Parts: sequence; C-alpha cells; structure tokens
Amino acid sequence: MSANEILAGEHFLNGDVACAEGAIAAGCRLFAGYPITPQSEITERMAYRLPKIGGDFLQMEDELASIAAILGAAWGGMKAMTATSGPGFSLMMENIGLGIMTETPCVIVDVQRGGPSTGLPTATSQGDMMQARWGTHGDHEIIAYAPASPQEMFDLTIKAFNQSERFRQPVLIMTDEVVGHMMERVVIDPDKIEIYPRRKPTVPYEQFLPFKGGSDLVPAMACAGEGYRVHVTGLTHDERGYPDLSVDSQHRLITRLLDKIRKNADEIIELEEENVHGADVVLVTYGITARTSLRAMELAQGKGIKVGMLRLISVWPFPTAAVHAIAGEVKGIVVPELNMGQMVREVERAAAGQTRVRLVPHAGGGLHRPEDILAAIEEVAR
Amino acid sequence: MERSVIIAGFGGQGVILAGKILAQAGMEHGLEVTWLPSYGPEMRGGTANCTVVLSDAPVGSPIVDAPTDLIAMNLPSLDKFEPIVLPDGTIVANKSLIDRPVQRSDVHAHFVDVHPLAEQAGSARAINMVALGAYVKATGIVPIDVVKRAMADMLTAGGKEKFIAMNEKALDAGYNAI
Repeated sequence: MSANEILAGEHFLNGDVACAEGAIAAGCRLFAGYPITPQSEITERMAYRLPKIGGDFLQMEDELASIAAILGAAWGGMKAMTATSGPGFSLMMENIGLGIMTETPCVIVDVQRGGPSTGLPTATSQGDMMQARWGTHGDHEIIAYAPASPQEMFDLTIKAFNQSERFRQPVLIMTDEVVGHMMERVVIDPDKIEIYPRRKPTVPYEQFLPFKGGSDLVPAMACAGEGYRVHVTGLTHDERGYPDLSVDSQHRLITRLLDKIRKNADEIIELEEENVHGADVVLVTYGITARTSLRAMELAQGKGIKVGMLRLISVWPFPTAAVHAIAGEVKGIVVPELNMGQMVREVERAAAGQTRVRLVPHAGGGLHRPEDILAAIEEVAR
Repeated sequence: MERSVIIAGFGGQGVILAGKILAQAGMEHGLEVTWLPSYGPEMRGGTANCTVVLSDAPVGSPIVDAPTDLIAMNLPSLDKFEPIVLPDGTIVANKSLIDRPVQRSDVHAHFVDVHPLAEQAGSARAINMVALGAYVKATGIVPIDVVKRAMADMLTAGGKEKFIAMNEKALDAGYNAI
C-alpha cells in the first residue's frame, strides 16, 4: 500500500465516507456490498475509490453474498469489508458465524437504522447492539466498536482491520444513521497510521497446522496459493482444519476461540473516562449517545451534580470489570440508548446490584433530548 | 461561542448545500463544526433541512432542539421552526415566498427577496447563496471571503467550477441586502 492512496490532510467528511477512507488506509482492497440506507455512501465511496487504486468493488446480489465474498477474499489474501444496515445485517448473521469458526479476518459495518424489519429506513437507532453480540448461533465472542464521530469512523475502521488481523476474526463497526450522515472535520495523517499485518506461517509447509493457536491462542494464516495446505470448513475441526465432530474436538476448538478474545480482552477494550472518579452519577454511553449526553452532563453540572461519563469506544467484549469498579463508587449509573434497553443489561450485570442502573430508552428515529437524560441523572443523584 | 442554524426549505432549493458550505467555511475559519441533514425522500419534493453547529469548543449533539438561528426558505419552514429559535437569535426568511411577518419579537428577523437577487446574479438556482450571504452578514459568524472560498472549493470538488463566479455574486447580493 502506498501512502498516496490515503486521503491525507484535513477534510470535511460524513461518517460513511470517513469509514470507507479508513478502510482504504488500512489496506482494504476489496469491498463487496449491497446498497442500503443509511450506509449507501460507504458503498458508493468504495465503488468510486477502489478501482482507481488497484482494488476491487463488487456489487453483490444481496447481503448473504456480500459477506460470503469478503470471507472468500480474506482467504485469497486480501483485506476486505462489507457494510449494511439492519435488514442486511440480519441476512449476514449465519456467515458472521462462519467467519468466526474459520477465523477469517474482515470488517463488517452496520450503520444502524430503526427496526425491526424495514422500520425507519432513513432514521437513526442503536437497536442492533445485542444482535451484534448474539445474532449468529453458537458460542462465540464478538469484537465491536461504536464510533461517535466521522473522525472515529476513520480511526476505528483502521483499528477494526488491525484487530481482525490480530485476533483472526470478523470485527464489527456498530454505528448509526446520524454518525454515518453527519459531516465534520476529519484529520488524516498517514504517518500516524499503524497497520497490523496478517500473521503468516514461518514453519516449513509440512509442519504447518493452520488451526493451532500460538501462545496467544491465535493461529497464523496461510492463504490460498501461498504453498501451504489450506482446508477451511464451518464444521468443527482439528488443528489441521479437517472435520472432527467429537466432543473433545468441539470443546478444544470452542474454548480456544472464546479464550483468544477473553484472555486478550485488555488489548481490545477501549474506554474514555471523563470526571468518573469522585462522581455521584456516571453516564455509560456509546456512539452517538455520548454526544447527546455531553449537553445533559453540562446541564447537570450546572445544577451542582457531580456527574461523569464512561464512553464505550469498543462495545464488545463488554468492559465488565471497569463498569463493576465504577458501580462500587457511585450513587447511580445512567444509560441512554437509542433502543428500549440493550447494553443496559450488560451494565446491570456488571454492576451486580452495587448501585442503581437507570436506562434512558429511546425507540429511535431521533436523538435523546438532553432534558430527558438530565431528568434521569437527577433521579439517581437523589 | 456556539451557534446552531437550521436551514430549511423545499427540496431543490439548495438548503443542504448551503449548510455544507457554511460548515466547511466554519471549519476553514478554525471553528469546530458539525453538519447533519434531515434524511429522507426529500429529493423527490417536500421539505428538506439541515442543521449546522459552529463552535469554538467540541460540538456535542449534532441535532439541536432549539437553534440560535434559522434560514427559512419557505412558509412551512418558518411555521415549523420559528417557535423554537432561541431568544436573541437570527431568522433569515425568503421574502419571495413568505407573505407573513415573523411573529416573534425577541429575535432578529431579516426578510430577503432572494429570487430577484439570485436572477440578477445569474441564476434563480442561486437563491441558497443569496440567503447564506444574508445570514453571514446578519450574524458575522464567519467572514464572507471564507464562505466564498468554501463554496469555490466545494463546487470545484464537484466539477462545477463554471458556477463559482455566479455563486460569488449571489453571496454578495445577499450580504449587501442587509
């Protein structure tokens, strides 16, 4: 990848375009997708940009094919991405599981809109947060980020690619219509971009075990055509990649797939704390709700309430320990979400009864009124 | 300092582009900015609006319940948004299409006859730039030259350089109308 393929400089971009540019900066050279509001600008940007820099843009017949194509591209040696919104995200669920089972690095963007079903095609929501976690079947761990600005759409898309290579699994960007469509300043400095390269096997061909984890439980990846034997299956498999449907094999594989994320979670979890220590009330926010909560925080501080914010930059794996620690120090936790209560369940689980957890629900289509978040802060501060 | 403006009108009146140009100008002027369109099927008719927030500090929500300012390009937009403009705010209204006065007495209202001014500048399609020029004069939020440069940058990026001179005239016409 040459630096002049990166959109260097200061730009005025919407979140969708910034996401596409982040992917290109991360080395993504294949995008397979199907247009859907409110992510179509990602697809459009990739269609415009990739052919000019030696990449491939594939307009697929639907979202099942889109994710299948990026999994295949990854095994062909490329960095690949797809993007969608609720209805398409639902169609991708089965193959997200295939990506986890086959340990395939790739990035999937969900620019959330109101659901279920066709719902609110052009309006915002955070209604897919639990679908991201548990939408595909079977035991698995998920890595997901929640950008709160076009700048973070750029930065976190690069991070998503890096983590997908680091941990060899699909990584999700869980954003929403507002962050996707809002335009802000995006600063891109190619010298500050770090890329985690794909881990290649270093052993002789005959000694390579494609699904044997290293000391960090993550295997090296040999792609098709590199001389190593590659056998990839969604069936439970042994370290050679061959189907082995025994109880022991299932236990070994699933344990490693979960532990490679769980035991390395500190490398993934990314939080931003503001005035958390010494606060009576802490807002736990992610994505666009962090932005709307800023105003509520100002209003509460103006009334003399000691309020802080814990912003989840990564949403999965959930930062249980961090939330548990905060819960032991405060009068209450307030969780504004553009859904009727999803991440709040994790907050309640992590708080483990130490403090009051108050959801500020919103069914989607717009953003919270700061006054509604303020009322919840005042209620738990009493 | 933080100003927020809702720019609203019929689909096709250029309110979305006017907002983008204002936001880009604010950014080039060193302000923190955010621009958010109301997103729907407006391109096929009906009403459209966008919100621009310009601030000397990081911007929180890109949607505001009560903007400091309003640019209303048609009557439905004035009807809808006049009540929520903050006291001491600025309203720029399209005199060519709005036949009632602003009812609020606690805001600064400016009626601009955008259609003849845009036609004199070279095209009726430049009504958005006339209104934007008037808004920039009324609020002093960014220098008009910075707005012109942002407009030129944006049109150049879209391969529409030939319209820059005409849009500069339209910005000036609005600026001088107040």
